[in-house]
Parts: sequence; C-alpha cells; structure tokens
Amino acid sequence: MLKPVYVYTKWYFKRTRVLPSPVFMKAKLMLRKLIFLLWVLSLPVASQAEIKPEGVPESVVLSAEPNPHWVWVSDIVFHHMADGKAYLVDGDSGRFLGMLSTGMGFVALELPSDYSQIYSPETYFSRGTRGERTDVITFYDPRNLKPTGEVVIPSKRFSAMPTHNYFALTDDDRFLIVYNFTPAQSVSIIDVKERRLVGETTTAGCALVLPSGIRSFLMMCGDGSLMTVTLNDAGEVTNKQRNDPFFDPQTDPVTEKAVRWGDTWIFVSFKGDVYPVDVSGDQPKPGKSWSLFSAAERGESWRPGGIQHLAVHEASGKLYSLVHQGGNGTHKDPGQDVWVYDLKTQQQIQKIKLDRLATSIQVSKDDAPLMFSIFIGDPTLDVYDAFSGKHLRSVHEIGFTPTLLQTP
Amino acid sequence: MKWLDEFSENSARSMARQSSRRSFVARLGTLMLGAAVVPLLPVARASQSKRPSAPEESGDPRNCDYWRYCAIDGFLCDCCGGSYNSCPPGTTISPITWIGTCTNPVDGKDYIISYNDCCGKSSCGRCLCNRNEGEKPVYMPSLSNDINWCATSSVDIPYNCSTAVVLGLAVADT
Repeated sequence: MLKPVYVYTKWYFKRTRVLPSPVFMKAKLMLRKLIFLLWVLSLPVASQAEIKPEGVPESVVLSAEPNPHWVWVSDIVFHHMADGKAYLVDGDSGRFLGMLSTGMGFVALELPSDYSQIYSPETYFSRGTRGERTDVITFYDPRNLKPTGEVVIPSKRFSAMPTHNYFALTDDDRFLIVYNFTPAQSVSIIDVKERRLVGETTTAGCALVLPSGIRSFLMMCGDGSLMTVTLNDAGEVTNKQRNDPFFDPQTDPVTEKAVRWGDTWIFVSFKGDVYPVDVSGDQPKPGKSWSLFSAAERGESWRPGGIQHLAVHEASGKLYSLVHQGGNGTHKDPGQDVWVYDLKTQQQIQKIKLDRLATSIQVSKDDAPLMFSIFIGDPTLDVYDAFSGKHLRSVHEIGFTPTLLQTP
Repeated sequence: MKWLDEFSENSARSMARQSSRRSFVARLGTLMLGAAVVPLLPVARASQSKRPSAPEESGDPRNCDYWRYCAIDGFLCDCCGGSYNSCPPGTTISPITWIGTCTNPVDGKDYIISYNDCCGKSSCGRCLCNRNEGEKPVYMPSLSNDINWCATSSVDIPYNCSTAVVLGLAVADT
C-alpha cells in the first residue's frame, strides 16, 4: 500500500499531503536493502576491540645469549669521522637489531668470549673536532646496548684505516691491550675486570696486538719479526722479547690482517704466501709457509686483497680468503671471489663467487656457519651459507663506509 | 690516511692499474735505495726537507691519476681549498708522514713524495683517491698510507685531506 508523504511547498511553507510514485517507492526499498547489507558487512569490524592507547614506548632489550648468526658491522664513517658507529644485524633474518655510537676514528668493538660485555676503544674531543682529546674504553651492556662505564686511557690510540689487530683481549679476557702511535709506539694495558688502566709500555719498532696466551701477546715489527710481550697477573709487563724475522717485508710483506686458528696465527703476504706461526709455546714458532695460489693462478695474477680479507672457521679448520686478479699495489683492492682452504692439508677446497664486490669477510663460529661480506663503498651486507657458498640474503643500508665484521 | 678504494667497481682496481705498474719492481728498488739516501727516514719530515724547484709536470692535480698520487690515500687537498702541496685554510699540516716514490711522466725521473695530511677539521669529502704503489702495512709506518698522520700534528687526529709534496729525486742524477 502506498503511504502518503508530506512535502513542503517552496513558497508557501504549507504542508501538503501527497502520494509517492511507485518508482520512488521501489528506489526507497532498494536503499533500505543496501543500508541493511552495509550494516551486516560492518558487523565483524564493529565486534573488534579498538586499538588501545600504547603509552610511552619502551626500548627493546636483546637476548643475553647472542645468536651466533649475529654480526657486528663497524663503520668509521670516513666522511664524518667524529661519528663512528657499530651496527648489529641478525644474519638469519636480515633484521637490523641495534647500534652503538662510538666516537671519532672508530675501529671495532672487542667482544669477550662469553659476550657478557662489549668493549669499545673510543676517542672524543671536547668541541667535536677540536679541544681536549679524551680516549676511553667504553663498556656496553650487550642486552640494552647502553654504556655502563668507561676507563680513561692515554690519548694515543692508533688512528688508521681499521683492521682487527689494533687492540685485543688476552686469551682469558682479563686484559685489553691497545696499540698507540703518536708516532712513538707503545701499548696501553687495561684491566677490564677491575675497570682500571694498568699502565703503558713502549714498543719501539713494533706495532699491533696479536694475543698469544692468557698473559702474552705478539707485536709485528718493521723488520719482519715478532715481539713477544709477557705480563704478570697484575697486567704489568715482565718481558719483551724480539724474535727473528720470519718473512721479508721489503720484497713481499705479510698484511697486518692476520687471523688466528687455535694456537696458530695465519699471516698472508701481498702475493698470497701463507706464514703460519705457532704460539703454543713461550715464543712464537714459524711453520712452513705455503701458497694460496698455484703457479697457474699466480700467472693469472690472483692476489689476496681488502680490508678484512681473511676469516677462519675454527671447528672445521677452514681459511676463507678474499681474492682478486691484480698486480703489485692491489693488496687493498676489493674482490668478488672467496677461496676456501683446508688449513690442515693446505689445499684449496672451494671457490665461492660473491654476489657483489667485498672488502671484508667474516664467518660465524657455529657448526652451521654463515659467511658475511661487505664492501666499504657499497654498504650492503651479504649473507651466505659458509659451507655451500649459497647466497642467502642481502641487507641494504648498513652504514656509510663499513669496514670490519665481527661475530659473537 | 689511506683508503676508500672507490665507491665503484672501476675505482681501486683501475686506479692502481693505470699507474705504471710495469715498472714497479724497478721502482721498488729505487724506493729502497731512496729510503737510504734521504736523511732522517724512516719518517720524512717535510718541514726539514729541501724542496727543489717545481719540476715540469703534466696532469690534473684534482684527478686521482695525477703522477704524484701513486701512493696517496684520502681526499685530495687540491679539491678542498688547498693544493697538491698546500693545506686548505684553517687546517694544520702533519709534520711527519708517509712517503712514496712516483715517476714523473714528463722527465721520466722517480721522485720521493711526502703525503702530508692536513688536519684540524672534519673530512673534506671531495676527490677521494686511494693508490697503493709501494705502500706497506702499518708495521712499516713510514711507507703506510693507512695511518692517520694527523696524529702527529698539533691539532691531533681530525683529518681533512692529503697533499703530495715532492721531497726530491729518489736517486740523484749521475
């Protein structure tokens, strides 16, 4: 039945009763159906609770047990060197987990074997790039990445293109040894347990810090020899012993980027000769040298090169070497090939082709290791299966001039 | 300072390749001889050196291929308000630094080059150049361009750019 409706005429403001047309009524019915349909569709949404206010955000806290597939990426930030950084990335997910601000001329972190602390040799100036210089070892909590304290050290910390051997912990993680260069050469010794500076000792003619025991470390000297520095339990120097040269630094020097495999330090020369040095005794004992390259590969001008061109997987005894084709003077060139060697047999066992150029490589310490690579000129972290060589993922925008890679 | 091999595939490799590596072995010999005849090494003291009158040269000192830059590492001062042998305004030179031996293509002679860093301001950021002919690891400091030689300056380690100063002939004319 048609229901009358009331309309108001424009000019008279008089209420008039009229009957609607059938077309109007049909449209009205359709509109009602449409409204009902929309109401039904809206029911699930309406039944959900609204997003509650979240309050003031809290900071993420990381696991106290590090994932062995985490990697710390160091960045000297060459174009803004007062603002060094370290980034933590999860190699399994590619997720960026957090970072540290680490001052001017940043080199790398020092990670004790239990990962209970993070130590960072840092330099600050009171006016940013001028004023009074203060060098410190900053202690960070690895869970919240906050500084927990510091030890002021002599303001002489070596400032250079980063490598891993500018400072190191003794084998029991008790003393941190920091190389100084002004250009007078010395080391500062820090007791990280008591958080105090033990002292400084001169090391004329010798540079870098290569741990060789719980109370000793080696330094590399300009004549191709090593110097053994021995400490007592208080961290004081009790002996400095220069050993005989074990390579010729004038004709084919080893790089300062040596890596350690158990009690053996592995040095590799510009041309690819490997010099193992056994440090299990009181004094270092050089072993028989061997070459990364066959005669044919030498003929093809294969060379090691990069910033962190060597990595060791301790358990499997594998040496990873970043290589490229080039001549003399290319010892810091990037490479796109990683050749893998069995350190026991000294044989090449695998060739891995990287997805992109790299200046640094690192291998995680676990039994299913990842290999990481990065190029200082292209801050993309690449993640590989270290055994198969398969590329797993790329993580982009990791800093500005990434230099070194460290795994817990 | 050393470094940053370029931010492209061409960079480090090509730069190093372009610069007369064929004569490297010969020049390594002269470098060693040169190190013996230049007094006060193992570190070169620019302030005490007798700089010869400028030799005839060719090339662009704002280009990494310039002959003096055969072992340089860092930002070229010529692009930063200074020149290949002077520091930008307001910066302070590092008196002690590393040396290289480079061949001047015009006269064919080998010259000892002192790569003094200019210090006291943040990085210039222009004309990054890294070449490593005859360059050695940091345990041989006088031949290492990885070292921030601003550490030897009066204004300490803030690094701005690098120069390439001729100290003299690597081997005296006979």
